[in-house]
Amino acid sequence: MREFLSVFSIGLFQNTLRTATPVVLAALGVLMTDHVGIMNIGMDGMMLCGAFFAVLGSCYLGGWLGGLVLALAVGLLLGAFFGLFVVKFKSDEYIIGVALNIFAGGLTVFLLRTIFGVAGAYSGTDALPIFGLPKINIPLIENIPILSDLLSGNTLLVYVSWILVALSYVLIYKTPLGFWLRAAGEHPESLRAAGKSPEKMKYLASILCGLFSGLAGAHLSLGYLTMFTENMSASRGFIAVACVIFGASNPPRVFLAALLFGFIDALGLRVQSFNVSSNLTSLAPYLVTVIMMVWVVWRGERKKKRLAR
Amino acid sequence: MAEREPIVRFEHISMQFPGVLANDDVSLEIYPGEVFALVGENGAGKSTLMNVLYGLNQPTSGAIHVKGKKVEKQSPSQAIAMGVGMVHQHFKLVGSFTVAQNIALCCEPKKKLGLYDFRAANDTVRHLSEEFGLEIDPTAQVNSLSVGLQQRVEILKTLHRGADVLILDEPTAVLTPQETDELFRVIRGIVRDKGMTVIIITHKLYEVMAISDRVGVMRAGKLVGLKNTSEVNERMLASMMVGREMLHAQLEKTGDTGDERIRVENLQVLSDRMLPAVQGVSLNVRAGEILGVAAIEGNGQSELIEAITGMRPVRGGEVFIDGKSVAGKTPGEIRKLGLAHIPEDRLRTGVSPAASVEDNLLAGKQRTKEFSAAGMHLKRRAVHEYARKLFSQFDIRGAGVGTAAGSLSGGNMQKVVLAREFSLGADILIISQPTRGVDIGAIEFIHKSIVEKRNAGCAILLVSADLDEVFRLSDRIITLYEGKITGHFRAGEIEKADIGYYMTGARTGSEEASR
Amino acid sequence: MKKALRELFSFKRGPKINGGYLLSLAISILLALLVGALIMAASGHDPIAGYSAMLTGALSSKRAIGDTLAKSATLCLTGLATAVAAQAGIFNVGGEGQLYFGAMASALLGAALTGAPAVLAVPLCLLAAMLAGGLWALIPAWLKVKLKVNEVITTIMMNSIAIYFCAYLSNGPLKTTERGIASGTAKIDTSFAFSRVINLSNLTTSIFLSVAIALMVWYLMKKSVTGYEMKLTGENERFAHYMGIPSAKLMLLGMVISGAICGLVGMFEVFGLHKRFIDSVSNEFYYDGMLVAMIMRYEPTGIILMSLFFGILKIGGTGMEKIGIPSETILIVQSIIIFFMAAERGISASVREKRVRRNARIKADAAKGGSEHA
Repeated sequence: MREFLSVFSIGLFQNTLRTATPVVLAALGVLMTDHVGIMNIGMDGMMLCGAFFAVLGSCYLGGWLGGLVLALAVGLLLGAFFGLFVVKFKSDEYIIGVALNIFAGGLTVFLLRTIFGVAGAYSGTDALPIFGLPKINIPLIENIPILSDLLSGNTLLVYVSWILVALSYVLIYKTPLGFWLRAAGEHPESLRAAGKSPEKMKYLASILCGLFSGLAGAHLSLGYLTMFTENMSASRGFIAVACVIFGASNPPRVFLAALLFGFIDALGLRVQSFNVSSNLTSLAPYLVTVIMMVWVVWRGERKKKRLAR
Repeated sequence: MAEREPIVRFEHISMQFPGVLANDDVSLEIYPGEVFALVGENGAGKSTLMNVLYGLNQPTSGAIHVKGKKVEKQSPSQAIAMGVGMVHQHFKLVGSFTVAQNIALCCEPKKKLGLYDFRAANDTVRHLSEEFGLEIDPTAQVNSLSVGLQQRVEILKTLHRGADVLILDEPTAVLTPQETDELFRVIRGIVRDKGMTVIIITHKLYEVMAISDRVGVMRAGKLVGLKNTSEVNERMLASMMVGREMLHAQLEKTGDTGDERIRVENLQVLSDRMLPAVQGVSLNVRAGEILGVAAIEGNGQSELIEAITGMRPVRGGEVFIDGKSVAGKTPGEIRKLGLAHIPEDRLRTGVSPAASVEDNLLAGKQRTKEFSAAGMHLKRRAVHEYARKLFSQFDIRGAGVGTAAGSLSGGNMQKVVLAREFSLGADILIISQPTRGVDIGAIEFIHKSIVEKRNAGCAILLVSADLDEVFRLSDRIITLYEGKITGHFRAGEIEKADIGYYMTGARTGSEEASR
Repeated sequence: MKKALRELFSFKRGPKINGGYLLSLAISILLALLVGALIMAASGHDPIAGYSAMLTGALSSKRAIGDTLAKSATLCLTGLATAVAAQAGIFNVGGEGQLYFGAMASALLGAALTGAPAVLAVPLCLLAAMLAGGLWALIPAWLKVKLKVNEVITTIMMNSIAIYFCAYLSNGPLKTTERGIASGTAKIDTSFAFSRVINLSNLTTSIFLSVAIALMVWYLMKKSVTGYEMKLTGENERFAHYMGIPSAKLMLLGMVISGAICGLVGMFEVFGLHKRFIDSVSNEFYYDGMLVAMIMRYEPTGIILMSLFFGILKIGGTGMEKIGIPSETILIVQSIIIFFMAAERGISASVREKRVRRNARIKADAAKGGSEHA
């Protein structure tokens, strides 16, 4: 028992934060499109592209900043591309999402092999190293025993993700633009009648989503790990979608949902040392996602039925 | 009155939608400070005309002048800028926002850093509501408000944008009588105190008499009458509204009525909004007769039909088909009792638009011996022959049975529905709005087919907003108002011009006595 | 409102395959191949050499043709699996997981029945694969029909669950005791296995079953009463309900059939090639087939034909590998075909709309002119 309790060490919570961060960033992107009424299941592919181009930028554009900028630029492009199809061409967002995922899978591996000349993974060579994101120590907290382990010494995008959660919350619920975005999703005609184009809002959200996907990818390949591997997004984009559904598109709640998944993930890593198969622990987040989706919908249905009475 | 400068002038407005000429050369002037009522049947083009003024529809030809200036590029924001506001029949409100957030949408007050100044928005709305005497809580969430209050939010929204011409599209359709009285009080107030101009679209004639200064009557896209309200009465308006040329020859009705086939007892049904839509309706239909239901849209007739056919649950009371209760049965099970149904909404329910005409005609018969072997193989050749036969028998015009049903014109699509439902061998027919949006030639054909079915001994329940149709086809007529039966007549007992009163609930009980 | 709009443009109501569609498909494929050529050129390869390597890789030898046919069969079955669910109005993205469970169930049974007569055991294994795949598909279908839980997300999640769970089984409790096998379940009785039709190629006798299944699914979708009812359900569920068609049951049925087909694909892999369940029994086979189905708008005839073309692309990709061009080029080309098709549809829809408006205007003007003359 004591042995089991030792699972819940400080390292577990450190890992929770580490594994949750890419999901948080991706979920913030999905959340933007969800507010304007678009379900973006292409996030996984967008993230994967972000991860690859972050490595590319880091190698060729002189360091992690170059990687970040390139990932963001590609994210912006992909977001605009997604918006073009879903908003302008009125394509089915699921089909475009699936196609985007396949495209990203093909493109990143193709480029990995063409540019870096390796298959499977690239973790940098002496001649062409990958510069990871810097770790940041927070001056005061640094010296407090437990807090320092948790809150200090994380990579840059961990902190950025926290700030972005807050900023997204402010954007969506505290600024006029946020109200326009939500109106575009909930009742586009009301926005049109008030004189703003819901389509423009949808474009904007798609582009924001793309930028977030760039950050998420960059964190994956320059923060979480310092390498690019084939298909390294590993369905995190889909888990992000589930977090958004579970957190009702509200940034702080989505953040908590992502932390929960991070926790399950980290817990899985820990219990592996107790001879629990890594395969079983890996499927836990997906299982939890399905259960939670069912629960969210079931709860919503019950509420509706109560109202009908 | 003609001395004054008009505030809005329509000049030869025509509006062509694919397949429908919704406005046909309409010219009209509205004067400042008046309440102008625009009346007409469903589909007469009232809302289209007002949408043109509000910039939601681009007219195919013609021009609009507001306050003496020609409107160049119509758009809602342009209309708002010129002081024209519109409250739509379906509210354009974001349900999860508060009252103030809806009213301020797209002109939000800002604090430092570009943040939304909620307090300022609330204060503005509070002032506005005091100024115009429209009481409302700015912080209430719109979803939680009654329909009447939501409408008030819509009106405040237009006032907030500085509108002095207010268009109300069927504002009372969703209101209770008390809410309607309250709305009229508000309208009188803003016209008297603020000098506003109000255009109200309606088809409730007593409301026209109660609220308007002038009235325009539209029929089939044309403006057919323009009067001072003081010079007309409801009877005159009704005859202008429904006065389309009488449809050709009398239809020959033969045969005797037989046994009772449909029996409805004290039926209660809820609307989509979970409000009572049918409130204690009882009726019966016998073999060899047509019972017509005359009612204006939204008075429970749709819900009545849907409850009888199993498309909507019964809340209370009973429906019997040949003595068997339909409670809890699916539409398919009810069909097996010998019932066919022509629904009011062709595109959503009556056909599968993406499927071919042939597949649409087959539906319901796909498991019969005629068209399937062992309930598994679909005999395409037989289906094709059958579809071709119905296609010519029902005079469906289109590029053949292989085309998508959705590509047909309204009349031909309706004939597809008719052909299918009339060929199922059912002798109880529930028919809803059979000729809505259908051209004259097709109307005649559809009417003849319905009467043939009657003469062959079918029991038919017919719902229509078209009074000509109800009078022409029915053996008996009931009127429905707010989910209750307000009148019951045999054919020939009542004139068309008189029944409008029953349909608008004007002549019930004591009111009738006081007239 | 949001929902209604989405339904209006959803995949279920896409226009039928007709001449115009085939033309734009041909153009899209050509353009996508052109993009592929540009990608090759940009990465320093000769596109012509690349595409000819693709063709030789797929068609130049008996063995290559065998591989291509085997690949096409897999694409065809998985594509039809997508299509049969889509016909009833469900988007099954979960075929990969259904495939894994089918493979696992049949592999376990195939090992357990060792020594039994093959005529008995093989049909039982087929059945087990269909059951496993079908039941796994039934879960998201039931959730959609009963609770309206979005099937796209649940099926995607259930893919990962199935893949990890099967990996757990084959590396844990059900791992073979055979020496020298790193992971995988016990070996099936080799007398149950499908034999190779062409030596050294992946083409096994399962191809005959595949053809039979494809024909059956084609029959179901195009020629049967049930297929007709499924189509009406998928196109307009309200209409189906109104006509007395049991739409919920048909959606469940469509999904179960879809899952059963995927299960069979898994079984064919096991009984044809690996003779046991291994983690890598599929390499996103289902997604490849789903892509074919999407491109062909869920039309079975089109899927059957197009899977031959895509089989050539896929196997040809290995040919391209031989001259150093990454086979992922093919993945990129495939997804670009979808993008082109989606764009074409959006553009032609807006052109159509404009044309309707213009014609209406001309008509109205003509009518007005006429009345003025009169």
